[in-house]
Amino acid sequence: MLKLQDIRLTFHRGTVNERRALDCVNLHLSPGDFATVIGSNGAGKSTMLNVIAGSYEADSGKILLDGEDITLRKEYKRANKIGRLFQDPLKGTAPNMTIEENLGLAYLRGKKRGMGSGLKKTDEAFFKKMLACLGLGLEDRLKTQVKLLSGGQRQALTLLMATIVTPKLLLLDEHTAALDPKTALQIMRITDGIVRENQITTLMITHNIKDALSYGNKTVVMGQGRVVLILEGEERAGMTVERLMQLYSANTQDAFSDKMILYSRHT
Amino acid sequence: MGTILMGGLELGLILAVMAIGMFLSFKILNIPDLTVDSSFTLGCAVSAIGAANGHPVLGFLLSVLAGMAAGCVTGFLQTKLKIQPILAGILTMTGLYSVNLWVMGDKPNIPLFGKATIFTPLQGKLPVLFEKLPVIALVLIAVAVLIRLFLKTQIGMSLRATGDNEDMVRASSINSDGMKILGLALSNGIVALSGALMAQYQSFSDISAGIGMMVIGLASIIVGDAFVGKGSVGRGMLAAILGAVIYRFILTFALQLRMPLSGLKLLSALLVVLAISIAAARDALAKRRMRNA
Ligand SMILES: Nc1ncnc2c1ncn2[C@@H]1O[C@H](COP(=O)(O)OP(=O)(O)OP(=O)(O)O)[C@@H](O)[C@H]1O
Ligand SMILES: [Mg+2]
Repeated sequence: MLKLQDIRLTFHRGTVNERRALDCVNLHLSPGDFATVIGSNGAGKSTMLNVIAGSYEADSGKILLDGEDITLRKEYKRANKIGRLFQDPLKGTAPNMTIEENLGLAYLRGKKRGMGSGLKKTDEAFFKKMLACLGLGLEDRLKTQVKLLSGGQRQALTLLMATIVTPKLLLLDEHTAALDPKTALQIMRITDGIVRENQITTLMITHNIKDALSYGNKTVVMGQGRVVLILEGEERAGMTVERLMQLYSANTQDAFSDKMILYSRHT
Repeated sequence: MGTILMGGLELGLILAVMAIGMFLSFKILNIPDLTVDSSFTLGCAVSAIGAANGHPVLGFLLSVLAGMAAGCVTGFLQTKLKIQPILAGILTMTGLYSVNLWVMGDKPNIPLFGKATIFTPLQGKLPVLFEKLPVIALVLIAVAVLIRLFLKTQIGMSLRATGDNEDMVRASSINSDGMKILGLALSNGIVALSGALMAQYQSFSDISAGIGMMVIGLASIIVGDAFVGKGSVGRGMLAAILGAVIYRFILTFALQLRMPLSGLKLLSALLVVLAISIAAARDALAKRRMRNA
């Protein structure tokens, strides 16, 4: 479904700030794969997702999605097939528009937008049903402006927007990191439910190693701009947080960030 | 007195058309667009040339297209060449000055006295006082209704979202650059339409007709907000229309109180400052009240 071939990206090349963010990244996801991504701060996780989504252009390498070469495709065109969530709940929704209008926009993903009505009466029941599935009571607040929602509610709405037209690929960049632990757990459960039900191929960055091992069917470990380890199958099933940290240090001469260790201890 | 009040109302409604155009760029797209001054003049010029050559309606319609083209240029500079919105507007405005002069045949003004205008058909059929109002009102209502309807369409909603959260828009497979260009084109098309109305209304087009128009439009939007309050899109448009009329009446009264004509622009600028301070004071008051409650 998704194939990254020798992706390289250096920021500010030729200046004192030169920074090699991706150093020959190779990754292959099969249809329905739910891969979690971990790695220390600055390992290149977000950059990899940005390159896949088209926010950054890779210096070299190839990106294949669903059999098509999308390496040079514009970000908004890739979004036809890619759903995306950011860490910042403010980034995923239009705050001054209503829940219904946000969903209406998302529901047109990949379709041509024309002079037809932006909100069809017939879609309302469908939106309500989908919102009800989130279990947050948003189904009764279709006409509420999104800026009046809490971070967790917004993130849940963004998740629904990213998947309401089932994408070929779902990219999640620490999408629960800005939420309190209880809400984060709730959003993770909703995410897992949606991804599994629709068998969406997913890449999920997390700083919670426990989550990284318990959700999905693969764990991608990144360090210093490379994919250093991919865990799956039995090896992954038998992996513990402690062993993974040892493995990581051995593979990257780089310790896990404090943030990750903190997360794993407290949750 | 009746003539003076009617004149104030008519001019206010013409400015209201411009305010709706600027509402699109400033409020919906959240882009400070300085093209306005020159696209207003462009509208004046094209419609005056049309009327001077015996085609008032054609000139009127062509002015919209000309304004849209100007908006496209600014949009292109902003999105494709990544020029800051303010600078992009200034560049278009500067370049358009020459274009406007060319349109007007290298003359600084075109008088239309004795020429047929879009107001001519109703002349003599209504009491003199009400001769011009219907055409102006018709144009204003048509623009307001069409834009209101447009903003409810799929493209219109995408346009609103582009001004609200560009990240989200791109992530939803919407071409945000295209939306900005479209929005600026529409906005300047409407501004030019307002200029076209003004030229034929005053039977006169001047190369400096548009100077300060952006501030006037801004004053209308901000004054309107202060009266109507912020809210939905429909409410925002109503605020812009009302603001333009109120603004124009304030000027009318100032002129009645023997303010010299040369003080007009200063008064416009002061009004914007005043309206902004009133809005800020109101917000601060509301906050204090909430804290004490
Ligand atoms: N826009 C940018 N301009 C310059 N350098 C950047 C940019 N984005 C990322 N980098 C650099 O690229 C490297 C990889 O950053 P990236 O954000 O991908 O890390 P990450 O793995 O997501 O880290 P974190 O866990 O902190 O989110 C870092 O050294 C970072 O400083
Ligand atoms: Mg990151």
